[in-house]
Amino acid sequence: MARYIAQRLVLMVITLFVIVSVSFFVLHSMPGSFINDPRMPKEVKKAIEDKYHLNEPLIVQYGYFLKDFVRLDFGISIALQPKVNVNKILATKIPVSMQVNIFSLILSIPVGIILGIWAALKKNKIPDHVISILIIAFISIPSFVFASLLQYFIAFKLGWFPIVVTTEQTLTWSKFVSMVLPILALSFGSIAGIARYTRAELCEALNSEYMLLAKSKGLTQVQATTRHAMRNSFIPLANIIIPMFTGIMGGSLVIEKIFSIPGMGSVMVEAINAKDYPVAMGVLFWYSLVGLLTILIVDLSYGIIDPRIRIGGRK
Amino acid sequence: MKTKSENKFEFIHLDAEVLRDEKFEGEAIGFFKDAMLRFRKNRASVAAFIIILIIVVMSIFGPMINEYDYKQQNIQLALMPARIPVIEKLGIFDGVKTINVRKESIEEKYKDSLVKIVEEYKVRDVDMATIKIDMYKYKGVKDKYFWFGTDSLGRDQWTRLWRGSRISLIIAVLSMSVNIVVGVIYGAISGYYGGVVDLIMQRIIEVIGGIPLMVIVILFVLYYGPGIIPIAIALCLTGWIGMSRMIRAQFYKYKGMEYVLASRTLGATDRVLIFRHILPNAVGIIITMSALAIPSAIFSESFLAYIGLGLQAPEPSIGVLLSEGQQVLLEHPHLTIFPAFLISILMISFNLLGNGLRDAFDPTLRGQE
Repeated sequence: MARYIAQRLVLMVITLFVIVSVSFFVLHSMPGSFINDPRMPKEVKKAIEDKYHLNEPLIVQYGYFLKDFVRLDFGISIALQPKVNVNKILATKIPVSMQVNIFSLILSIPVGIILGIWAALKKNKIPDHVISILIIAFISIPSFVFASLLQYFIAFKLGWFPIVVTTEQTLTWSKFVSMVLPILALSFGSIAGIARYTRAELCEALNSEYMLLAKSKGLTQVQATTRHAMRNSFIPLANIIIPMFTGIMGGSLVIEKIFSIPGMGSVMVEAINAKDYPVAMGVLFWYSLVGLLTILIVDLSYGIIDPRIRIGGRK
Repeated sequence: MKTKSENKFEFIHLDAEVLRDEKFEGEAIGFFKDAMLRFRKNRASVAAFIIILIIVVMSIFGPMINEYDYKQQNIQLALMPARIPVIEKLGIFDGVKTINVRKESIEEKYKDSLVKIVEEYKVRDVDMATIKIDMYKYKGVKDKYFWFGTDSLGRDQWTRLWRGSRISLIIAVLSMSVNIVVGVIYGAISGYYGGVVDLIMQRIIEVIGGIPLMVIVILFVLYYGPGIIPIAIALCLTGWIGMSRMIRAQFYKYKGMEYVLASRTLGATDRVLIFRHILPNAVGIIITMSALAIPSAIFSESFLAYIGLGLQAPEPSIGVLLSEGQQVLLEHPHLTIFPAFLISILMISFNLLGNGLRDAFDPTLRGQE
């Protein structure tokens, strides 16, 4: 197992390095400059660009970048928040996104699982049909449509919640209340996803032979379901729940924009638009790292959660 | 020698020359016919298919139904609320708008068009009132009908919505076809040859898939400008990966089968094996995946529009309309509600259609999502 993990980690580092390098060259070959003041004299502009080594050949810039990158230092922002360290910018943005995402997770996992179980137990009866219709609707309708509708009808027309999220730094009650709508908008999709998955897995588990055995040994339907079917059907759920946990560090671009949450979502687009290379590279690295780590954890979790897979993998 | 028993037997088939099987009464049912029979039984999917057809027809002919043009501006009639004949009598979509004004201006400005005073209140000693006015009467165009209202430049929303859905569908179909072609070829080669070829091709996929999708798309669109073709291609940059994985799995499943071995022994080339003998097994998957790829392309296109990388004006798309509407959502909800409704219907229908097709082509998957 340890050897397998080490192997995967090495592969991951190589992949990450390739991704960052490719992105570096793509980003830096974009036309335009981060200085967009047309009145600035050419010499001054060149002097500023020289300061950040922007006029040197790409390969030399790549060398500078790598030297800092080894220490995970992406330099300072040059356009978005000039002279602020990139890691510092990220450190202020990530918690904001995390707050909303964590609450959305706390809401969607239990609700999704409960709805899925309910639908599976009442398969082909009215609750199942209703839940299935809701699942299709909530998976299909984009989250920004929900966000707009919630914002208009619940925040504006009914006035139950503030229209945008308050700018308080700490998590107070009033901030939480203002975060309810974005949390809801983010949750609908994942609730539907989890419910659909749970239903499918549980339906399969309920029809399996070990359930028949359990019942023939004298367990009641409730006992057999909770002790055998549910446990088994939760294993594949790791597949979709783990990415949700790692996903809490990234922001949802559109939801954050609609409710004006100052999170991670817009940093990337703004950085690329403003040609702020250090910030863009920092965000890119962060997203790629989280993405690759997620894939790794999902793969490893199979072995940890389900012993059958672990034993099978050893041959 | 003749025995007694011999005479008792008779050859009954002596008259008929050849023995024949009984002819099949019904028609032969092939793979597609079988699938279509199953598809037709799924009422939700058939309904979804009909809705999609209606939307496609409307996206072609919708803009021609009324007299307005998708780019004809009229600042005088900007941000008019929706007004639909017949339905306006029910009290909805009747061109009435609620606004807050000073009380004295009701008499001066809104006398003719006033429908109803909702409430009166005071702000710093100024008498204010929330009133409902008939915008069409107020602007003096009682004879005009903007079915879905107008946008901030006075362009007819009905025309723009259908033209926008046409463009969104074109982008979706374009990117879907490129994804299918690239994904099928890549997955087929990777799955058929296996070994080192497969290893290298899968690592390439890992790197491409590892870069956050939005980064590549944003860079691509910034580089080539926000047109229909660049956006469609940008959605292809990583979109083919899912398709190629499915096809690769199919090849792994079928390439070891006896019929493939038999065909190879008879001298079939790799190309014939790939395209004639193995790929047809994946037709069901390809059709299902294309139906499911369209809603995700429509979603991505709207997403791009939301972050400011939508199509260039004056060309509308559903995403552009939604993001324009979002900016004035609180004052002019009609600009958001119609596109939001349309995109929701479109996404639900395509997903239902995709699910129905999947169940029809591969009944063993039914119930699993």
